[in-house]
Amino acid sequence: MSQFEIKAGLAQMLKGGVIMDVVTPEQAIIAEKAGACAVMALERIPADMRASNQVCRMSDPQMIKGIMEAVSIPVMAKCRIGHFVEAQILEALEVDYIDESEVLTPADKILHIKKDEFKVPFVCGARNLGEALRRVGEGAAMLRTKGEAGTGDISEAVSHIALIKKQIDKALAMESDEEVEAYAKELNVSLDLLKQLIANKGKFPVVNFAAGGVATPSDAALCMQLGCDGVFVGSGIFKSKNPEKLAKAIVNAVTNYKDPKKILEYSTDLGELMFGVSVDSLKEREKVSTRGW
Amino acid sequence: MTRQETTIGVLALQGAFIEHIQHLELAVNSSAYDSIDFDFIEVRTETELSRCDGLIIPGGESTSISLIAQRTNLLEPLMRFVKDEKPIWGTCAGLIFLSKQIINGKPGQAILGGMDIQVERNAFGRQLDSFKVDLDFSGFTSNKVDAFPTIFIRAPVISKILAHKGQQERDVINSRNDYINNSKVEVLYKLENGLIVAVRQGNKLGTSFHPELSHDCRFHKWFIDEFVLKSQSTV
Repeated sequence: MSQFEIKAGLAQMLKGGVIMDVVTPEQAIIAEKAGACAVMALERIPADMRASNQVCRMSDPQMIKGIMEAVSIPVMAKCRIGHFVEAQILEALEVDYIDESEVLTPADKILHIKKDEFKVPFVCGARNLGEALRRVGEGAAMLRTKGEAGTGDISEAVSHIALIKKQIDKALAMESDEEVEAYAKELNVSLDLLKQLIANKGKFPVVNFAAGGVATPSDAALCMQLGCDGVFVGSGIFKSKNPEKLAKAIVNAVTNYKDPKKILEYSTDLGELMFGVSVDSLKEREKVSTRGW
Repeated sequence: MTRQETTIGVLALQGAFIEHIQHLELAVNSSAYDSIDFDFIEVRTETELSRCDGLIIPGGESTSISLIAQRTNLLEPLMRFVKDEKPIWGTCAGLIFLSKQIINGKPGQAILGGMDIQVERNAFGRQLDSFKVDLDFSGFTSNKVDAFPTIFIRAPVISKILAHKGQQERDVINSRNDYINNSKVEVLYKLENGLIVAVRQGNKLGTSFHPELSHDCRFHKWFIDEFVLKSQSTV
């Protein structure tokens, strides 16, 4: 067993659960009471960051600390892509997980953080198999789809899940070592990791959650039925009119994701949901999912 | 010869339930159970629970598991399952859920009251304090489980063995299940620093750590043989 198993192990404990973005201790308590298995502490939820058009950085540690003190479930926090000093600060603060996130403005346009050098585990976003395996190679102990954060539009997350699945199926169908080698080159990933993935029948060595655009219980159940291990909900909950009720409904829907009658019950009478921004209405440079490489 | 059917459920409300099912499957594949048909199922409903001869409550977030159980009307059936003297094993969050009293719990966090123990949540601290260690369980396991790789993740410990009556403390959460476990609590394993991380009380088993995260299914085999099959043979 290695240090990696301790890091990936916590993500295994989060499975079948919902991780919620919160900006205050009060929201964190609502999330915990709703049954969230962890919270993501941040200054502004992605929908507001998207609207601000400003540089978005790691949150003030004071604010993250307030949330760590308010709840007993694991607390995650975001740092900028490639900003290993923000990650060092978050590790010193003793957060339970770091999200090297495309939602913040990237600090390094070439490299991601060398996550295996840290004791605290990392989660990273991916929109295709190449990104997913590169992040695992750098030491990520958990993956999530990128989706398109802050939109309330699930379509991008669905495309990322579908693309990764298609690429895994392609790798699994390969018959010769030469083909696999060529595919590793095409994806720009380590051949060892790709071979390992094939040996594991296409299963990642880490947990893979859905994220980016989840706004309803049925969005969450959709991602679960598509094979994700759990769900991140960002702006969806606290941009709705009745966050407590919606938070509980999403948690329930993730547990009973295979049961349409129950999802029907959880989807009923939730009040006004998050406003939505259709991904198609965004200009390419307005998308955050294209950040990271 | 009639074949015996044995169904072991894994509570699947949240957490690492698939890992337990995989370990159970490995455990029965690795040895000969010629006359038993095993079925390992995910348990989310009362109907699924009613099929089970034994239950594993997995690791996960103990608040999530408890709240979801209450909201999906599974708490009462689980408490009855405890009272029916069915074998149950709780790992990490499952240990918390199975206990009679908890420290560091959250308001509204109901627990099953199957074992006379007080459990402290997050006893070691945060994720950075999580650790792994090889432990020797050959002293209490019939199949001599030695050099067993254990992982403790934001783990709880058994902070106290409770007497049946008269222990009301402040800042604890008590189970409202009136079940009385007539067996004695046995401390199965203490770490070098004295912290209790494995206990047994009759056919209830609790561990702070995660045998389902190792690549070793011996602990699961011991649970099947010593708890589930023995309970079935005495019925």
